[in-house]
Amino acid sequence: MLSRIALKPVRSAIQPIRMTQTSATSNAASAATTESPERDLVNFPRPVRQEYPGKVRMGFIPDEWFQFFYSKTGVTGPYTFGLGLATYLCSKEIYIMEHEFYTGLSIAIMGIYAVKKLGPATAKFLDAEVAKSDAEMNAGRDMAIAEAKARIAAEKIEQDRALGMKMLFDAKRENVALQLEAAYREQLVKVFSETKKRLDYQVEVQNVQRNLEQRHVVDWVLRSVRAAVTPEQEKATLSQCIANIKSLAQQNTVRI
Amino acid sequence: MMANLFSIFDPSSMLTLPLNWLAVFVGLFALPWGFWISTNRAAKFFTLVSDQLHSEFKTLVGVGGAQGHTLIFISLFLFILFNNFFGLAPYVFTASSHLAMTLALAFPLWLAFILYGWLSHTTHMLAHLVPLGTPPVLMPFMVLIETVSNVIRPGTLAVRLAANMIAGHLLLVLLGNQGPSLSSSLLSILLVTQILLLTLESAVAIIQSYVFAVLATLYSSEVV
Repeated sequence: MLSRIALKPVRSAIQPIRMTQTSATSNAASAATTESPERDLVNFPRPVRQEYPGKVRMGFIPDEWFQFFYSKTGVTGPYTFGLGLATYLCSKEIYIMEHEFYTGLSIAIMGIYAVKKLGPATAKFLDAEVAKSDAEMNAGRDMAIAEAKARIAAEKIEQDRALGMKMLFDAKRENVALQLEAAYREQLVKVFSETKKRLDYQVEVQNVQRNLEQRHVVDWVLRSVRAAVTPEQEKATLSQCIANIKSLAQQNTVRI
Repeated sequence: MMANLFSIFDPSSMLTLPLNWLAVFVGLFALPWGFWISTNRAAKFFTLVSDQLHSEFKTLVGVGGAQGHTLIFISLFLFILFNNFFGLAPYVFTASSHLAMTLALAFPLWLAFILYGWLSHTTHMLAHLVPLGTPPVLMPFMVLIETVSNVIRPGTLAVRLAANMIAGHLLLVLLGNQGPSLSSSLLSILLVTQILLLTLESAVAIIQSYVFAVLATLYSSEVV
């Protein structure tokens, strides 16, 4: 659910990205959607911007001219042609080396020196400026992309947090189960103890009853025995006992 | 073969038609092409120079200038710069060394400023004839002097540019003419001297075009 809420602003931010895209970057997309059927892209392809200047030899002669003559004259062909032409023009005095020639020579030396010495530094500086203006033009688009990426990362964090919540719920569930188990066991113990109490009571009641009955019977027996004893029996028993004691006393004195 | 020393400034080509004046358009080849929005290095350099000039001219004109006030002066600067610079190259005609061209640039500008200023803001222009802080005794003379300096402006603008170009080219031609008659060892000294002179002439080309444009801006700012 959280992910659905987070997705909503991302969906609306997609539109600025499309509007500020340059034709260079959205070539495929725009070609697929807004190309006119009458447009002939085979014979008239869309022009592509060159990244670097064309290859040149000696600073200003295009390399294609040398490649063109390679099959007929080999590697040294164009150079031989140039040297030969220059020699011909100079020796026949078709081209006269007057003041303009020496000015041109001086300018050539200056130009070659300047390009060799200051060229790389100037190129680096100008490339940096071009990169700066390109970055300015793409700033809106790049910012929107960065923003979308940040939103995706935040959404991921939210998803991880949601997973963490799940773990929390599991832990809580386990806790509640433990508590229930503890309560159940407590009640079980209570039931046992209550039942035992009642049974013990019954046992005690039986014991007490037996004790009472036993005492009562013993008392009754004793009473009846005492009642049955007549006075003659009592006398006879007593005299017997005295005779026994006398005999015993005689025995004991002998022993000592 | 040179008929005289000044034949390098002759606008007539081999058909005796003044076709050399077509060299005025050689600056068009140096302008960057605006097909792509993302510029290449040369176009970026061009843009940097134009932006720098624009900010400087805007400062010169001050608050009185309207939007786009600097455009004509930047165009003027670039036009004269290309003409001066390409004129240094061998076999290229230096159009800005002719009073015909420089006067044709300076005079209409000056006339436009004078006419607009004197007809629309007469009091303002009259006030400018006497600078701030002049002692009262000198005021009549100051008016005369300022009037003369105002009137002479197209002349100075045109002649300054033309004279600088002519002088530079003349020196180069004089030095170069000694080339065929020198031995190889002296030739190196000649080339070194020519290189130094060409450095100076390149600087002069840039500075003179800048001066022309700045003065035109200042004259326009006076009127506005």
